[in-house]
Amino acid sequence: MNTPTTYRETAFTNSYEFTQGSGYCLPEYPFTEPPEIKSGEVHRHQVVIVGGGITGLTMACCLARLGVKAVLLDEDNTVGVKGASSRGICYTQKSLEIFQRLGVYERIVGKGIQWSVGRTFAGKDEVYSFDLRKQSSFDRSIQPPFINIQQFYIEGYLVERIYGLGHVDLRWKSRVVGFEQHKGFATLTVETPAGQYKLEADHVIDASGSHTPFHAWCGATMTSRRGDDRWCIADVRFKSHPPMERHTWIEAPFNGNRAVWQHLMADDVWRIDYQMEPNADPEVVSREEVVRERLQQQFGRDVEYEIVWVGPYAYRSQCLDKLRIGSVFFMGDTAKIVSPFGARGGNTGVSDADNLAWKLAAVLKGWAPASLLDSYDEERHEAAAQNVRVTNRTARFLRPAEGMERLFRKASISLARQYHFARQLINTGRMAVANSYTHSSVCDRTGGQSVQNVAFNWADGSKGGVNDLLAWADGGLLVLLFGDMPSTACQRLRQLALHAPVRCVQVVGPDNRVGALEHVLDPHGYLQGACHVFGHAWALIRPDGYLAATGESVDTGLIQAVERSLGIKQ
Amino acid sequence: MKTTLHFQDADAFYEQLLDAHAGLEREQSELLNARLILLLANQVGDAQVLGECIEAAKRLPPA
Repeated sequence: MNTPTTYRETAFTNSYEFTQGSGYCLPEYPFTEPPEIKSGEVHRHQVVIVGGGITGLTMACCLARLGVKAVLLDEDNTVGVKGASSRGICYTQKSLEIFQRLGVYERIVGKGIQWSVGRTFAGKDEVYSFDLRKQSSFDRSIQPPFINIQQFYIEGYLVERIYGLGHVDLRWKSRVVGFEQHKGFATLTVETPAGQYKLEADHVIDASGSHTPFHAWCGATMTSRRGDDRWCIADVRFKSHPPMERHTWIEAPFNGNRAVWQHLMADDVWRIDYQMEPNADPEVVSREEVVRERLQQQFGRDVEYEIVWVGPYAYRSQCLDKLRIGSVFFMGDTAKIVSPFGARGGNTGVSDADNLAWKLAAVLKGWAPASLLDSYDEERHEAAAQNVRVTNRTARFLRPAEGMERLFRKASISLARQYHFARQLINTGRMAVANSYTHSSVCDRTGGQSVQNVAFNWADGSKGGVNDLLAWADGGLLVLLFGDMPSTACQRLRQLALHAPVRCVQVVGPDNRVGALEHVLDPHGYLQGACHVFGHAWALIRPDGYLAATGESVDTGLIQAVERSLGIKQ
Repeated sequence: MKTTLHFQDADAFYEQLLDAHAGLEREQSELLNARLILLLANQVGDAQVLGECIEAAKRLPPA
C-alpha cells in the first residue's frame, strides 16, 4: 500500500461511509405532508422521537406496543445510511429478546445467521476459541446468544411493525433544524420537502445519532476520546464461503500484522474488517484495487467474490455526563459512542429504548410519578459508562501505544500461546451483555439484573416464556411467586393487583402445590434460576425484563418494592 | 498488600531474576519482565492487592 503524503481531515463519524460496491437495495417510505404546514397550528405531542435508526425505531415500536402515541421524525426516507450502508451486524440475546416482545424476532431469525463459535488467531496460530452456547450465561434463553444480520433489515422490520401497530406517526424527510427548551416542554422546528413547521413536545427522545445537533442545543457536557486507529470494512459475497464462525486475528500476517475481523451476515455476505496503518488515509485504503489486494492476500488469488460494500472508518469514544437535559432524553449514539468491538453500540441503543419506553408509558398512563423518568439516566448512564470503559480497553489492546503498551501485548500473546490463564488477557472485544443496574433508585439491591427469556410450561402443559408473562402484564409489573402459596399471600397479592399496575402468577416447581388460579409450571427451575432466587421467594419483574427486587415472604416488603420500582418516594 | 517479609529466600530469588536477564538485549529483558509481571499477577489474582501493588510501585521514595 502506498503511504499517502497528505492526510485529509479524518471524520470520526463512527458510521461507515459507503465508498463503493454493488450496495444494498433498501426500502423507501412515503413522505406525507404534515397537517401543521397547511394549518400553521402548533400541536403539543407527549412524545417526539428524533431519528429513525435502530434506537429511535425500537423506541417507537416499544411505545406503539404499549399504546402510547408518539411522532417520529427522520431526516431520510429509508433505513440504513445514505441508502447503502449496513453498519451494525451483530445482535445480542438481550436485543433479540426485546425484538421478540416487539414482534419482529421471527423475521430476524429467518433472515439472520446464528453463530456461537469464535476463534482468535495471532500470526498463523489459533490462540484460543470459544463456544457461546456452552457458556452458562447464554444457554437458558429461548433466544440464541447472537444473530448476525445487517442493521437495516431490523430497522425495516421495525418500520413495518410500527405501521401495523399504529399509535406512532412516522414522519419521513423531516429534519429538525431548530430547538427551544421551555419549562416542561420543548419546541422543535422541522424542515420537510413541503416546508417548515413547528411542533411542541413534552418529551423529546434524541436518537439522531453521532451527529446530533441536540448536544449543542442543550449544552450537553461529555467526555470524548479519539485516537489514530483506522479500519476499513469490506462486505463481500463469496462463491464458496468460509466457516460459519467469527474469526479474529490480532496480528494477521496477510494484513501487515495488523488486526482482521471476519464475520458472517445475512444474504451470504461476509464482513471483513481490516485494521489499517495508524492515521491511514480513508480514501486510499478504500480504493477498489487496494481492497481487492487485501482480500487476495487473505483468501488467495482464486477465490471468487463480489464486493457489496466498502467503508473506511475511524472511531471515537464518547459518554455524555447526563442522559437527560430538561425535556430531552439522549439514547443510542447520542448518549454514548463506542468503538465497534463487542457489538456494544446498537445493542445498548436498543436497551436504552426499552428502558425508557415502559417508564414513559407508566408515567403517561398515570401509573407512576414523572420522577420515574429520572431513573433512565441512573440506569442507562451506568450502562453507557460501562460500555465505554469496556470498549476503550479493547481499543487499547488492538491499537497499543508504541513502547510499553505494545510490549505488554506481545508478552500477553506469547503467554496465551503457552498458558491457559493468559488467554483472558487477549482482548479482541468483550461481547455486549445486558448491563446490570447497581446504582438505580428504583431497583433494590436484590434487583437490577436482566431476566433471561427462559421457557416454562403453562398450566395446560404447553410451552411459554418470560416474554409471554411480560406481555400478559401489559406494560405493568410482574410478580412471580415461587413455591407454595399460602392463602394470606394469595389475598395480599389480589389486593395489590387491584391497587397497582401489577400482575401476579404462582410459579410451581416439582415439589409445590398449586395455590393460585394463575400459575405456571417450572419443572426444571429455569424460571427460578433466571430470577436468581431459591426456594420460596418472590421476584418483581419490570416490563423491560429487569428484576426490580426479590424477596422471601409476601409482606410489606413487596408492596414497598412495587412502589419503589415505579418511582414512588417512600 | 503485604509489606512484611514473605519471601522464603529473597537472596535466591534476586539472583535467579538477575541470572534470567544475564546476556539478554534490552528488548529481550523488557519482554521477560513483562511476561514475569503477568505470570506473577496471575499468582496473586486478588484485584485489590494487585491495585495496591501497582500504586505502591508508582510511589518512589523521595530522592
